[in-house]
Amino acid sequence: MTSSPAPAAWMQIRGLTKSFAGELALDHADLNIERGKLHGLVGANGAGKSTLIRCLAGVTTPDEGEVTIDGETLPLGSPQASERAGLAFIHQELNLVAQFSALQNMLLGAPKVTRLGIIDWRRSGVAARAAAERIGIRFPLETKVSELSVAQRWLVMIGKALARDASMIAMDEPTASLSAPESAQLFAIIRDLSAQGVAILYVSHRLEEVLQLCDRITVLRDGRIVDEAQRGGLDKKGLVSAIIGHAVRPPDARNRFSADRGVQPIFSARRVGWKHAVKDVSLDVYKGEVLALGGLVGAGRTEFAHLAAGLNQPNSGYFELAGRRLDLASVADAVRAGIALAPEERRSQGVMLQQSVGFNINVATLTKLRSLPGLPFVSAAKAKRQADRLIADLGIKTSGAGAKIAGLSGGNQQKALIARWLNAGVKLLILDEPSRGVDVGAREEIHDAIRGLARSGVAILVISSDVEELTLLADRVLVMHEGRISGELVGADITEARIIELSYHDAGAASREQGDAA
Amino acid sequence: MTAGDIAAVKKGGRPRKSAWRRTALIWLSRYGAILGLLLMVAFFSINAPGIFLSRANFLNILSQASLTAIIASGLTCTLVVGEFDLSIGYVASFVGLIVTGLMANEGLPIWLSIVGALALGATIGIVNGLLVTKVRINAVISTLGVGTMLTGLGFTYSAFPIATGIPRAFTDISLGRLVFGMPNPVIIMVVVLFALWVILNKTDIGQKMQAVGSNMEAARLSGIRVDRIKIFAFAIAGLCAALTGTLLSSLLGSGTLAAADGYLLDAFAAVFLGSATLREGEFHIVGTLVGVLILAVGFNGLSIFGAPTHFQPIFKGGILILAVGMSALARRYVASA
Repeated sequence: MTSSPAPAAWMQIRGLTKSFAGELALDHADLNIERGKLHGLVGANGAGKSTLIRCLAGVTTPDEGEVTIDGETLPLGSPQASERAGLAFIHQELNLVAQFSALQNMLLGAPKVTRLGIIDWRRSGVAARAAAERIGIRFPLETKVSELSVAQRWLVMIGKALARDASMIAMDEPTASLSAPESAQLFAIIRDLSAQGVAILYVSHRLEEVLQLCDRITVLRDGRIVDEAQRGGLDKKGLVSAIIGHAVRPPDARNRFSADRGVQPIFSARRVGWKHAVKDVSLDVYKGEVLALGGLVGAGRTEFAHLAAGLNQPNSGYFELAGRRLDLASVADAVRAGIALAPEERRSQGVMLQQSVGFNINVATLTKLRSLPGLPFVSAAKAKRQADRLIADLGIKTSGAGAKIAGLSGGNQQKALIARWLNAGVKLLILDEPSRGVDVGAREEIHDAIRGLARSGVAILVISSDVEELTLLADRVLVMHEGRISGELVGADITEARIIELSYHDAGAASREQGDAA
Repeated sequence: MTAGDIAAVKKGGRPRKSAWRRTALIWLSRYGAILGLLLMVAFFSINAPGIFLSRANFLNILSQASLTAIIASGLTCTLVVGEFDLSIGYVASFVGLIVTGLMANEGLPIWLSIVGALALGATIGIVNGLLVTKVRINAVISTLGVGTMLTGLGFTYSAFPIATGIPRAFTDISLGRLVFGMPNPVIIMVVVLFALWVILNKTDIGQKMQAVGSNMEAARLSGIRVDRIKIFAFAIAGLCAALTGTLLSSLLGSGTLAAADGYLLDAFAAVFLGSATLREGEFHIVGTLVGVLILAVGFNGLSIFGAPTHFQPIFKGGILILAVGMSALARRYVASA
């Protein structure tokens, strides 16, 4: 083990170790964090990033190791102690109370109380307003959080940290739900904060972002710190191979499947409209094709997916399946017709967390697993066989079909959700953000599964906000902008730049925003 | 001294000890309820060998448990799909009045009266289900509303000439011992519980019920008709409540107002005791049976030792909080460790 040669580091983490059920989640991690530095933390899901953060936050008590701040030992396992030490944590879910105003949220938990025990909103507001000014919050702090955009909510969270004189802010996937200009704005604020001496621990799967933003990058793999580099010491390729432990094969983007347009499409939308979110959308998906739907968050893609999957019914227009008009009253109707949706919100709409991996895989095909066709009994043997086969086919990492799905990493849960439809006889599979929050290695495996499914004759509609993913995966790309399809890209035209351009519809505006982001 | 050295020094017996404690706690949270049941049986057997430890008393406990077990296993089904049914006690009371009325006042044959009573229970369940799924009234409110209305309807119905002249054959149903010398209600309980266990665990509708209870949105997106599944669960709860009400009338020899209202709390206590048994926080039939037996053995023991009747609710509430609280603590400890 190499000990770091920087003795003057503001925060020193030494030998931090934590195991869950005998598995090492964090294995003697050593890390130095400096004031005023942007520190990137990357790694696959399950590599130990969250465990490290949770140990610092005092939510998880490590088995071994110690943390010192300015030479003083931080009592571990106490969220209060961590907060007193000036450590603030912003999780992806943004723990804000939607019905409270921005100001109330910023003061939540640490209001300045008068002698009578009544909150003095005016006095306590001073620190919060100062913090808001520091990061350039322009909306009134009296606005309810439910009326704020995700980007504005991030500002509230940062303001909350600053109002408590945080000296380090850890941020988990800050840009996951932000558009490009919003991300750019957030980066500017983050740089500002670090210039003011705040240490930032930046956790993200978006490697370009980390490479561009961070002064120093630490790579975790299997609970160990496997690489550490200063700015410029690593490029994306190096970072990716450090994360997955081996080199990635180059993307085979030129080899796109092109459907014979003379053939009847499997699935069509005809001038479909819904509320103000989806406007006049027409499209065709062909057998064996991966059609991607690009665009910004809020462009109407998820809403369109919900219409196609029968979750909502269009106000105008209609769908066709193999040339036949479809009127879907429910998801069950859609599934019966052969249309399935793997939703965006994996945890709340996808997996059944208390259930086993096998249960989660088999749940959409229970009728097919009957022991005798006419009787309602599910054959345990058939169920196990199907689950085992799909687990093997998709390379789902689990101790077996009987293991609880809650114990799997996000990537493997996602694979199980895809497996759910492999034997269901679907003609069109809609995947909404199939690799959100999933590490690079798992993303590749998910892409392989999607391509394999397409080659077997299923039409695929993929929605993703990860532009790079679209270029890697899609045979054809349609881009949506404010509810309408703003353009189609095929073949060599499928590039990140073109997709981003169409996402903003107006090419001029797009390049201006790109300029801002840089 | 490097970090590695410190770690080596610190590695003592501590992890092993905490692992041991963890295993013990998991074990306790799973088998604690069963252990408690066995301890209770052992305690009563040692301290009141002649009275408690006899075939007659065991059959007595089982008979008492059987009506609760039937209504509680129906309730288990609604909890499995993630809903509540607060009407079951009132359904049982109401159906108990109707079934005797059909026989004595309307002169229907016994079998037809019973079929009618069960159909009535299932129908009330379906109404509950429709209110929850289609009108989207919270289950606590809608089933409480339906139950309250049934209480009033029961009063209205019993204002008519009270059913007298219940056929002997009807009271014999609960008093008879057709199989192995076991009281009939026990046999009926075994059949009902087995049937529901099979439905929940071996059929696709049962798996769908579990899917709906685990994650309703995910179940819907898997093509499951969530509303139908929920209505089915409510229908089962209504049917089981009607069966309990019918058996109670047979046992009492008359339709009595509000006779079965108390089964609601017994059923809830048993089902939640059961959810802390064998599995962690899931509702299941075997657990419900264990819960019912704990209550029945406890009540029986208390009465053998001459404890006043008002000790029963104290015991019931106390053991419920103890069992569920213990498993909640254990789960949290396991999760945080």
